[in-house]
Amino acid sequence: MKTFFNSNRGAFITLLLLILLPFIIGLFDGASPATVFVNGSGQSKFIQGLAIEIFILAIYAISFDLIFGITGMLSFGHSLFYGVGAYTTGIAMKSFGLPLLPTFGLVLVAAVVQAILFALVLPRVKGITFALVTLGLGSVFHILVMSSEFGPYTGADVGLQGVITPAFISPANERLRFYFVMLAVMVLVYLVYQRFVTSPTGRVCVAIRENEGRARMLGYNTFYFKFVALLLSSFTAALAGFFHTLYQPIVSPNVAGMGFTVTALLIVLIGGVGTLNGAFVGALIYRLLDYGLRRYIGESASFINGAIYVLFVLFVPYGIVGTWRLKSLQMKQGWERLLGCLVDK
Amino acid sequence: MDNEIIFETQNLTKQFGALVAVDSVSIKVRKNSLHAIIGPNGAGKTTFFNLLSGNIEPTSGKVIFKGRDITHQPVHKTIHYGIGRSFQITNIFPNLTVFENIRLAAQALGRDNFKFWQPASRFKSYEARTLDVIEKVGLKDRVHTLARTLPHGDQRKLELGMILAPDPEVLLLDEPTAGMASEQVPELIELIQGIQKAGNKTVMLVEHNMNVVMSVSDQITVMHQGKVLAEGTPSEIAANKEVQTAYLGGLYELNV
Repeated sequence: MKTFFNSNRGAFITLLLLILLPFIIGLFDGASPATVFVNGSGQSKFIQGLAIEIFILAIYAISFDLIFGITGMLSFGHSLFYGVGAYTTGIAMKSFGLPLLPTFGLVLVAAVVQAILFALVLPRVKGITFALVTLGLGSVFHILVMSSEFGPYTGADVGLQGVITPAFISPANERLRFYFVMLAVMVLVYLVYQRFVTSPTGRVCVAIRENEGRARMLGYNTFYFKFVALLLSSFTAALAGFFHTLYQPIVSPNVAGMGFTVTALLIVLIGGVGTLNGAFVGALIYRLLDYGLRRYIGESASFINGAIYVLFVLFVPYGIVGTWRLKSLQMKQGWERLLGCLVDK
Repeated sequence: MDNEIIFETQNLTKQFGALVAVDSVSIKVRKNSLHAIIGPNGAGKTTFFNLLSGNIEPTSGKVIFKGRDITHQPVHKTIHYGIGRSFQITNIFPNLTVFENIRLAAQALGRDNFKFWQPASRFKSYEARTLDVIEKVGLKDRVHTLARTLPHGDQRKLELGMILAPDPEVLLLDEPTAGMASEQVPELIELIQGIQKAGNKTVMLVEHNMNVVMSVSDQITVMHQGKVLAEGTPSEIAANKEVQTAYLGGLYELNV
């Protein structure tokens, strides 16, 4: 238990800070903690909202890191996983009036279906071809939700509006509760992913990224491992989509578009490809940068945003978490060498 | 060496367009023997190995392993039958440690591959097997080194370790000494011989180093332009006039 705490010290401290965050902000706001508990308006509530968005983005990005960074499959249709989750939730609750739990069940079913859809093309295409085919699958979904035929359900190009979130986690009146639910979900996803990459299955996924031909020669039918990774990724992204619909007043068709896949790619690149933790760091930076630039610069924000990412990829190619790990490893090795020299003499 | 045949090909042929890389090759490999395949560049040795291990499918002919037709089996099945294959060009997981490279090889045949709710470190038998193999191939000091940072000779040893880990009956070694410094070669050859003698294993070897081939083999098949040119014991091969002109160039002095 003690070693578990020590090896995850950073994660525990972050978790503690995130639990306290609404109250710390509340204190700075000058209001009594009571205002925070009753979800009174103020800075704390706003920050909670921003944090919820970051949590959802992080869950979405980590699901992308699993198939791109860990298993080595480049998918350009990843927003499909998220979009299906978001739209399934919205349509089930609004058009069919389903309660929360059956809706959640439906999202899980949809997640399995889309993973199978990707798995169908998986053995036939590899590398960049897989990227293009998945881009095609994602675009088909995007076109479908934009089409006027499905307009009554999806809201076409306006987006899906008027989904009523159950009162007990309503983002407007029970935001603090929503915040903690979202935090708990994120921690759960993180734990599941950490466990997955250290498991026998996850190790094979890493081997597939490193050298798929060799993994096959070792006796692994790599298709099944890639399918498991896709399935877990699909579940996670659909989960993020589910909470997106609950939190946002509107589901824009953008979440099913190519641009949103690029968002996942950017977040993972900022944080560090294949590091998992990078998804959280990346989501934080991505969302804050986006928010800050839009607020203080306005229209030209996305231009500057883009320029920052280009510079980032050029100068920090391993991402923040990746570079951090590399440097701390080098430091450790340096100390070992130094001590080795001293002991020898 | 027994007289039992463990591995057999019947008229195995592979065509790439107009080129016949392997031309109706039929060989029989006896159990527990060390069977070398030699031949000049482009003789089809590696293609022949690829056919045996299932990396490519033959145009015609059959591959029979222990009386079972495995000609059209996918490549990931090969090791499950008990055939391990190493490559001429080093084929490892570059960004994983030596330990992890071999552990993955050891894990492959077990039944725990889809236990994604448990950490891999909980499966001690694979780890024990891994350390065993690492010790055997002489990489004990390199357990936690990244595979890509190993010197070439050690990478060859790692590759050998990866096919030893699942403990196959037949080892297909495609130029195990390729690119190695000449002083490291005897060490590796001794290792291979040791494994074959100790563990009742059959070794098939593609090798260019004639001294090695002549001294370690029980049986030699000489390939030339996709065909079997000659087959026999090292002394028979060395005395064979056809082989001398086609491959040895008459320069190899018989000293077995």
